[in-house]
Amino acid sequence: MLVTWRYRKRRSLIQWFDPRAWILFYACYLGSTLFFWDLRFLAPLVLVALVVLFTSGVEWREVRRAFLFIIGFILFFSFFTFLTGRGGVEVYKEEHLIRSFQAPFTILGWQPTLNVTIERAVFAVSQWGRIFGIAVMTILIPYTLDPALYGVTFHGLGLPDKIAYAVDLTMRFVPTFGRDFQLTVDAQRARGYELEKVRGGLIAQVRKLAPIMVPVIIHAIMGSEDIIDAMDLRAFGIGPRTWVQTLEYKRRDRILIAVGVVMLVGSLVVVFLGYGGFWVPPALFRMFGISAG
Amino acid sequence: MDKKLTSIGLTLLAILVIFLVLVYVGGNVMGIERLKTGENPLLRFVFVIVGLLIALVIYYLTRQSPAWEVGTRQVVWMAIGAALYAIFSFLFNGTVFVVPSLSQVALRPAIAIPMFFGYAFGPVVGFFTGAVGNMFGDALTGFGLFPQWSVGNGLVGFIAGLPLLFADRKKSMDTVLWVGGVLAVVAAAIWYFNRSLPNMLFFDPANNIFGDATITIFAGASIIVGFVLVLIVRFAFAKNVDVAAAVTWGMLGNLLGIGFAAVSDIWINGYSPAAAIVGEFLPAAGPNLIFAAILVPLFVVAYAGMQRQTGR
Repeated sequence: MLVTWRYRKRRSLIQWFDPRAWILFYACYLGSTLFFWDLRFLAPLVLVALVVLFTSGVEWREVRRAFLFIIGFILFFSFFTFLTGRGGVEVYKEEHLIRSFQAPFTILGWQPTLNVTIERAVFAVSQWGRIFGIAVMTILIPYTLDPALYGVTFHGLGLPDKIAYAVDLTMRFVPTFGRDFQLTVDAQRARGYELEKVRGGLIAQVRKLAPIMVPVIIHAIMGSEDIIDAMDLRAFGIGPRTWVQTLEYKRRDRILIAVGVVMLVGSLVVVFLGYGGFWVPPALFRMFGISAG
Repeated sequence: MDKKLTSIGLTLLAILVIFLVLVYVGGNVMGIERLKTGENPLLRFVFVIVGLLIALVIYYLTRQSPAWEVGTRQVVWMAIGAALYAIFSFLFNGTVFVVPSLSQVALRPAIAIPMFFGYAFGPVVGFFTGAVGNMFGDALTGFGLFPQWSVGNGLVGFIAGLPLLFADRKKSMDTVLWVGGVLAVVAAAIWYFNRSLPNMLFFDPANNIFGDATITIFAGASIIVGFVLVLIVRFAFAKNVDVAAAVTWGMLGNLLGIGFAAVSDIWINGYSPAAAIVGEFLPAAGPNLIFAAILVPLFVVAYAGMQRQTGR
């Protein structure tokens, strides 16, 4: 049995647009966000994500699990970026120390030290902005895109029939296999299998993942025969595919696509002109009495 | 060559040339900082095109083979493979689900899925499984998209499916083993002479390691360990060509696909070649080889059992 994403028709900004227009806008948003490390450019992009989120009509109870996970992940990621400057070496060369904390103990001769620098702090915020914007825009897609329109949407975006249908099926299968995975884990646990307590060397540990992976994969392949038969009976792939539902661009969709393209091209131009790289607000240097440079 | 393929190939080639000219003229001649190699999102898309061109060239040279057929079954298998890879990538990314791990090896056993789907159902299914599955997996985790790594994962499945192009699978396996062996030894040698380079793929907050620690001896040598395991499987299953070929070709797919993605970061992120190999390729491809040697045979045997049972 197929499990579906929690889509339902809502009065929302996203669902006001043609799904093709929304996917194109999303792609432009993604591209634009990846170009920037500068908070001045990331802030409007985060604002766009927040506007989309608060006008999506998605209720908290529907997305609670997904959002708690992603918020936890983003905070964890940003916090450790702040602590360590991980990844920052690619975008800044120099660090200005605000304060250094040293643990009063040593671990095997190593004394844990936390260097809080202006660059690390700003980099962590920039990274938070990038991940938050992308995550919010991505999470909302399955909740707001009608599963009945997956195929026609991707076909409308120019993918060949078969590939469009494969992407359509992929999106449909993800929640189903997620459910199957959970059922398999529960079934194995009922038999005494404890995944969290798998012991042994690396090879033994990997082998012990098989009782989880093999049933899910083989069950999925076995189940595929029914889907294949159903598709064959409907002469899938014999001629150009037609879709029960059709999509037509309206004026607002064209405007949305234009806004997305302008955003992407504008971002490209800004980047080519040498802006958008990592930026530290000069006020921070003044605040901590550090001379920039 | 049919018109559609010609136009796709030429379009990809044209886009590639435009990007390269942009990078060369803009970055090297005009000195525009963001067009120089380094942390550069533009170049990610160049490598997507390079990866697709590699697949297209192989397709063109062997286009008469039935391995390239895409019918109803392939479409469904593509979707199943990609969805499974996405789910297991999401779960084994180590954030939701406690995964057993050893030393500095971040386990990502899901890589066995594109290898298996590529081998069992062909290169097109393998490519789709790896590329689209990786994209969905990253999206589910909220990582964003890293297109060159998705194409690299696609190539893993694509290459794992290439034995369908060979009439004599046994002979092709030996050639693949030699190529894989040479690549594994070269990669291990690069690590040996650059042991002080950081492992950029490994993060262990509990031990205050954030990709700035050097990789352990085990992680550095994991590519050799994995290759030895592949060799053992190859000869232990000498009579079961399916298992031996799936593992051997999966190994080559892993070395070339992950190698492609890691090497592309030399230009995209400005890493030195040694840093790309030691910091990215080895920590990813080494453990992957171990998963290939252990999990792929289990999948192949289970799938053969299912085929016998259902008669399909």
